Amino acid sequence: MDSGIAMAGQSGVTFAAADRSPAAWVRVSERVALYLRALGIEDPLHRERLLVRIQQRWEARVSAVPLEDPVEAGIEEAYTLLDTWLCAELDITGEVDALFTARAAVLSGAVPNWTGRFAGVSGESIAAQVRAAGVQPEPEPAPLDMEPSTINLCCHDLGRRITGALRVLAGNEPAAAPPRKEQPR
Amino acid sequence: MTSESRIGIMGHHYRRILFFLLVLLTTLGAMSLLSVAFQDGGTRPHELVMLGLYAILTLWISASFWTATIGFAMLVTGRDHYAIANADTRAVGAAPSGPFKTALVMPVYNEDPVRVFAGLRAMWQSLVETGQQDGFEVFVVSDTRDPDIWVEEELLWRRWAKEMGHPARVFYRNRVENTSRKSGNIADFCRRWGGRYRYMIVLDADSIMAGDTLVEMVARMERNPKVALIQVPPVPVNRSSLFSRMLQFAGSLYGRMFTAGLSYWQLGTSNFWGHNAIIRVKPFADHCGLPKLPGREPFGGEILSHDFVEAALLRRAGWRVWLAYDLGGSYEEIPPTLIDYAKRDRRWCQGNLQHSRLVFARGFKPLSRIHFAMGVMSYMASPLWLIFLVVTGVAAYFQSLVEPVYFFGNNILPVWPETYTVEMTTVLWVTLTMLFLPKILALVLLAAKPALSRQFGGLVRATLSVLTESLFSVLLAPVLMLFQSKFVLAILLRQNVGWPAQQRGDHQTGFAEAFGTHLSHTLIAVVVGFLSYRYVPSFFWWFTPVLAGLALSIPVSMITSRVWLGQLARRAGIFLTPEETAQPRVLQLLEQNLERAGTPLCTTATGGDLWYRAVVDPCAYALHASLLPDETPNRRRRHYLEGLIFQLQDEGLGSLKPNEKRALVSHRDGLFELHTLLWAAAQPPSAGQIAGVAANSGTVHQ
Repeated sequence: MDSGIAMAGQSGVTFAAADRSPAAWVRVSERVALYLRALGIEDPLHRERLLVRIQQRWEARVSAVPLEDPVEAGIEEAYTLLDTWLCAELDITGEVDALFTARAAVLSGAVPNWTGRFAGVSGESIAAQVRAAGVQPEPEPAPLDMEPSTINLCCHDLGRRITGALRVLAGNEPAAAPPRKEQPR
Repeated sequence: MTSESRIGIMGHHYRRILFFLLVLLTTLGAMSLLSVAFQDGGTRPHELVMLGLYAILTLWISASFWTATIGFAMLVTGRDHYAIANADTRAVGAAPSGPFKTALVMPVYNEDPVRVFAGLRAMWQSLVETGQQDGFEVFVVSDTRDPDIWVEEELLWRRWAKEMGHPARVFYRNRVENTSRKSGNIADFCRRWGGRYRYMIVLDADSIMAGDTLVEMVARMERNPKVALIQVPPVPVNRSSLFSRMLQFAGSLYGRMFTAGLSYWQLGTSNFWGHNAIIRVKPFADHCGLPKLPGREPFGGEILSHDFVEAALLRRAGWRVWLAYDLGGSYEEIPPTLIDYAKRDRRWCQGNLQHSRLVFARGFKPLSRIHFAMGVMSYMASPLWLIFLVVTGVAAYFQSLVEPVYFFGNNILPVWPETYTVEMTTVLWVTLTMLFLPKILALVLLAAKPALSRQFGGLVRATLSVLTESLFSVLLAPVLMLFQSKFVLAILLRQNVGWPAQQRGDHQTGFAEAFGTHLSHTLIAVVVGFLSYRYVPSFFWWFTPVLAGLALSIPVSMITSRVWLGQLARRAGIFLTPEETAQPRVLQLLEQNLERAGTPLCTTATGGDLWYRAVVDPCAYALHASLLPDETPNRRRRHYLEGLIFQLQDEGLGSLKPNEKRALVSHRDGLFELHTLLWAAAQPPSAGQIAGVAANSGTVHQ
């Protein structure tokens, strides 16, 4: 997910070196918990379970990349956790479009009880429901060739053609035609 | 089974010969009357100009007149041996064609998504009521650039697609670059998915078609394998202002005569009107890729009015193009006010003028050339009328300076100057007849068909409607003449007239807007009126209908835009149309869908800046990201996006232009960065607010 697009640190926002302390995580976890609620995870138990896993990922990450914004790293880890779970649940590792469709399906609220499965509380697979809730925006490609047709305009370059004909009539050697700026079609 | 010849060649010759003979004879007759009046003392240069202009304009109006008259005869008699409705040109014993699909293709560009999806849903519901929906799929091909409208389209598509369930029947895509506008949009659809469909029914944002019409269009194409396109004339509906109800009435009553007449002489070389038409996809893809015309705009570059050209290309390739004038259930919505109508004209004008280059292009059928010429004339007629009026006024002035001489040489008796009042009056009456007789014929049609008459409110009310419409036509015509003349001139001078986007829904023209738009018309009326009254008083009185329209343009523009007047007229049974008398089912469904439009899918993503919600609201964000192409922006693009993110952080939401907002939400990676950045800001994001981001600058996270 690292596109290289400038992050807050480059825009004049400065961050202290990574802090893995429990106090730092408390501040991060408040925002991550808020984010999990925005994802539709309303059950406090589910959120609690997920926060534990996100914390583990976050700690590993901030120690490896010390100058990152810790809150942003926490949000990213929450999202990455969701993607990892979806890939595993649907067995779609590497299928980017399928992952995005599945993510849109669960976050639209079309899959009941997905948060329990995501949090590891429910043992029953919901792969079928996620797939059923996914909506295909475009059908499979069925391409046709569609090349621009040729339209020969009758009077295009008429002046040039008349001049050329007059030159020939006058006995002048027809000069090599200069390249046209634009070919008539 | 109808033989090939029934929609083939045999009938074409005598119909076209008859039509063009009538047009030509009418024009020659009118010209001969005028030239008799001019030949006194030799024809002067300005008279030659007038004669030339009159010839062109008479050709134009007599073609319309005879089209309407023939259409009237066809509708009264109910006879049309060559109509596509009855044709079946399949070879005897031909193999069954096998299963196929038809796409309802809705190209949109910054249109009201609620109306677009309500219309599509109504069409689909109507199709479901026929029980024939299995062969159809809906495809919204969006060229929308406005980021808020883009996101709303996605949300509305997702909600509908979710309701439709599996298998997926409604698709959506937003084009990354809107190259070549609508024609490029359709071409992109054909290139990517054309092989999936045998037919596509091309719609417009404000068009709507009944399910049984859609089914019948497909059936007619199946019965006629050499037909590549059938255009079903759309009837204007659903507007309430006085102006639009007049147009709806005229379109519904006179329109049916004109389309029947057009079909009479155009037959299998009819035209494409851009929407509400079914197209055979394969030949369309094979022959209708549009080239750029050589040279600069306005006449070079991309072909703007693509529909005429596509029909001509299909005909050039040997495919037939028909007008199904008999098929109902095809509707469109029209501009609600005179000013909006003029704005639409401005958009269409350039494309039609561009066709002047194609009239003599090689390979097109003669009738296709006539379509191009008619398209050009639909806008050139205005400046030509204007020049004709000016030249007539100047000629009248010089005529008024000539003192009559009654006694020559030794003549005892006075020699009275020869007058041509009879000829000139006849010319005027011929012209007026050609303009107004179709309206009278429409009333005769209603008298002959009582059932139809009832749909228009009965003969008395229809007569009142025709009279009122004619009065307003007289008042509006000079205003439209000046509008169109201005547009033509501006295009020829490569100047931007500067019209804002057209508003489609009902709204009313206020005084400031009317004053700003029509002040020049009023001033022209005052100045020309004064000059003609002062110097050519005899001409002034002839000129009063034109002057009245211009002088009253401000109040007329305001009054005709009034919705309450339109509704009052409706209650009085004036300008009633069959669609108002008994609302078709598909229009009822549209109305219901608009009332029930409700909230899009992600419930928190309503109102405010939708594009911003697509960044921060996880539901809208996930949906939007899922519809973006899976591609990583190149280095240059990434730097551009970085700059926009800095701008967003430093200067807030308001600093971004629509195209910049669109850029920010056009790449999955960039969108994710923005999403997490906003969620990590000092203040958590809330819909429609960016304070948290702005406040983030300089914040130190400990």
